[in-house]
Amino acid sequence: MSMSEEELRKLKPDKVVDARGTSCPGPLLAAKRAISEVPVGGILEVLSSDPGTKRDLPLWARKVGHEFLGVIEEPGYWRIFVKRGK
Amino acid sequence: MTDKMCITLMSGSIDRLTGMAVLVSAAVSMDMEVEIFLQLWGVYAFKKDVMKKNMNLSEFKEMGEKVAARLKELNLPMWYDLLKQARELGKVKIHACSLASRIWGVKLEDLEMVDDIIGAGEWVDKMSKAKINLFI
Repeated sequence: MSMSEEELRKLKPDKVVDARGTSCPGPLLAAKRAISEVPVGGILEVLSSDPGTKRDLPLWARKVGHEFLGVIEEPGYWRIFVKRGK
Repeated sequence: MTDKMCITLMSGSIDRLTGMAVLVSAAVSMDMEVEIFLQLWGVYAFKKDVMKKNMNLSEFKEMGEKVAARLKELNLPMWYDLLKQARELGKVKIHACSLASRIWGVKLEDLEMVDDIIGAGEWVDKMSKAKINLFI
């Protein structure tokens, strides 16, 4: 279950990685690198301007054992929130 | 057990090498292991004296320059840099086909990023155990 936009906006991520300006698979690689710098149970926010990322990251999170919290669409980019699971 | 993706790489043109490197990066991000088997043009493209000088851009020859320019605008690294990143981030093994190596007269030390030279039988055995198999 992903969170509402209102709930997402209140989150305080432990780390924000700005992958705007890179193309697929750049944001996915950035997420993979950055999640290890977040404590277990902590929140990673990924900024991406690649339209594939908002669907890549939920699948990635499920596959590797993290929790996808949701996505906020901003003009020209997306903010994607993932909670580190392990 | 970790899922594995096996890629048989026959091609040596930059468009296909780029597509291959993107998939390898994605697979590594998804915590999959990747093994790549280089055949004829694949081995040629991984030769140390060819890798960065390869000007064979595209299947649609007249579109090659355009594609290269767009990739640059989109800030996508060159295929070999993407592959290097993927190797730093996860498990990516690269094997060269023994026949192709003999065709080009190359040894392991003539090839960039290649871990070993193996035969087709061993590769088929590896493919039979992989979750995803691609021929590029």
